[in-house]
Amino acid sequence: MNPRQRFNAVVNHREPDRVPIDWGRHVGSIHRAGYVGLKHHLGDEELRNEDAVLDRMVQNVYPDEKLLRKFNVDFRWLEPHWVGVQEVEGEDAYIDMWGIKWVKMLNSYSLYQSPLAEAAIPDLDTFPWPDPYNPAIWAGLGERARWLHENTDYVIVADSIKGGLLTKALQICGYMRFFSALAGELDFAEAVLDKLLWLYKEMWSGYMAEVGPYVQMVYFTDDIGAQNNMLISPPLFRRLLKPRLAALFDHIKGLGDVKLSYHTDGSVTPVIQDIVEMGVDILNPIQTSAMGMDTYWMKEEFGDRLVFHGAIDVQQMLPFSTPGQVRYDVAKRIWDLGRGGGYILSTCHDIGEDVPPENVLAMFAAAWEYGNYPLDLASVLKPEDLHPLASKPDLAQQKAPIERRVRPKR
Amino acid sequence: MITKPTQDEIDAVLDGIYEHTLNGQAEPVVALTEQALALGVEPLGVLFDALIPALEEVGRLFEAGEYFVPEMLVAAKAMQGAMGILKPLIAKTGAKPVGTFVMGTVKGDIHDIGKDLCNIMLEGGGFELIDLGVNVPPEVFVEAVRQHKPDFVGMSAFLTTTIPMFRPTMDALAAAGLREGVKIFVGGAPVTQEYADQIGADGYAPNASVLVRKCKEMLGRA
Repeated sequence: MNPRQRFNAVVNHREPDRVPIDWGRHVGSIHRAGYVGLKHHLGDEELRNEDAVLDRMVQNVYPDEKLLRKFNVDFRWLEPHWVGVQEVEGEDAYIDMWGIKWVKMLNSYSLYQSPLAEAAIPDLDTFPWPDPYNPAIWAGLGERARWLHENTDYVIVADSIKGGLLTKALQICGYMRFFSALAGELDFAEAVLDKLLWLYKEMWSGYMAEVGPYVQMVYFTDDIGAQNNMLISPPLFRRLLKPRLAALFDHIKGLGDVKLSYHTDGSVTPVIQDIVEMGVDILNPIQTSAMGMDTYWMKEEFGDRLVFHGAIDVQQMLPFSTPGQVRYDVAKRIWDLGRGGGYILSTCHDIGEDVPPENVLAMFAAAWEYGNYPLDLASVLKPEDLHPLASKPDLAQQKAPIERRVRPKR
Repeated sequence: MITKPTQDEIDAVLDGIYEHTLNGQAEPVVALTEQALALGVEPLGVLFDALIPALEEVGRLFEAGEYFVPEMLVAAKAMQGAMGILKPLIAKTGAKPVGTFVMGTVKGDIHDIGKDLCNIMLEGGGFELIDLGVNVPPEVFVEAVRQHKPDFVGMSAFLTTTIPMFRPTMDALAAAGLREGVKIFVGGAPVTQEYADQIGADGYAPNASVLVRKCKEMLGRA
């Protein structure tokens, strides 16, 4: 099978010849310092792109095509451009097209100032929002997509126009302002989300007009999970975000013959059924270091409705494991999520500069070695991992509402 | 003639402070706090009989997965409004705080939401809080510990690339001869109990509510 045939089998829940491998997107590539380390480790001084920054905020790079081939990567990504970026004089900082200020800290940029931190609803009408019709956002991408389509067999993906509804609302209003609005000023929260929904719809229309005929997958990022539970309650997610994301996904999927991969970091176990109902085909990244994100359980419970994309953890597993442990984890994820197809292997996020190059190589080598169908991992995995009991996560958020206690009297 | 308020009247006001704090409604919390004081309730009474129990309940609901960051945040903000009134009054009485806590996000990291939630919950729990802000170098932690002689130092880091700053900060405290006198807590998304143990921190908390509880336990005030 070529990569597109492989992808086609996977997204239709059939067994492909091997588990497809993905790498090189804006939230799933490698930090430039890690890239330099990898390059030296490989002893390949010809490897290019250490200055080809993909996403300025996280300072990751476009991996060299040579490396994508070496690691048997099946996907090639189209990256919307950053437009309207203003440099800040005298600081290592910039203001993006949304008016959000980012400052350099150590090896990446952190959110520093949000333009709508003091805003009320009327301010949303006068705020200088980015121009959703600015063709510079996708300049050249149509041409690259057509070239890839005509000259290669790779799966072509339209990467997210960075930031989703909740993520962008939190960044543009500031976390404190928007979280507070979510707990008491829903009119304001909804007005911001509606504005963002409209902007993203218009942007995706323009983007897909360029690349739509050539792409097989689109990617949309909007984080709703945190380390130990969701960022917002499941009922609030269902009320505020689910209908808007569903409308946006319906719009995007109407613009081409594409499967949609939805990215949310963190723990999202209580709303996976809702995610299916939003029209999501592929869930990314299955952050296994977050609470309850048990891959075996997820496949048992949702494997007939969702394709899984990711699951190779960059927060705990890749930085703090030996190469042998990395190989084992890769085998386990392939077994948990890949039985019967339905799994695209990838890192959950960027490979940080704290990941030893040996572990990067071990991951891609194990993905290639263990990913062949029919899966034959009986000699690799421990019996308890071959036949795990699906450990249903503690879905505290799904339990019956917890009674509030009244004030204790002295 | 002014009659002495009954205990029922006082309880009704304190119940109101408690309920509105749980709901994150800042305005009624402030209004009812003033009303409680007017009825003759001691400032420490408002704190210990209404506000602290409310924040403890917020913490319990958060840990149980019933409350999320937005609900916790507005509850804490509602409490802050009342604290603005009570703090100067409590200071006048000479009452001692439960303990003193120096808090900061480590050098190279400017993530502040987790730290700020901890600050609010600690203050709500009766601690004196010295917030050093974000991107705090080890020498600033050292100076703050020397000056304030806190019971606790809290270090926050959101990134796997900034959690390595915990250890040099602890080393700097040790070099200054200040490590023995304080309990050190570490926290932030990538931090685990295992990591905290490995670097020799005294404590780890996965969220603000657990932090307050653990600090009180260490002080024997739980």
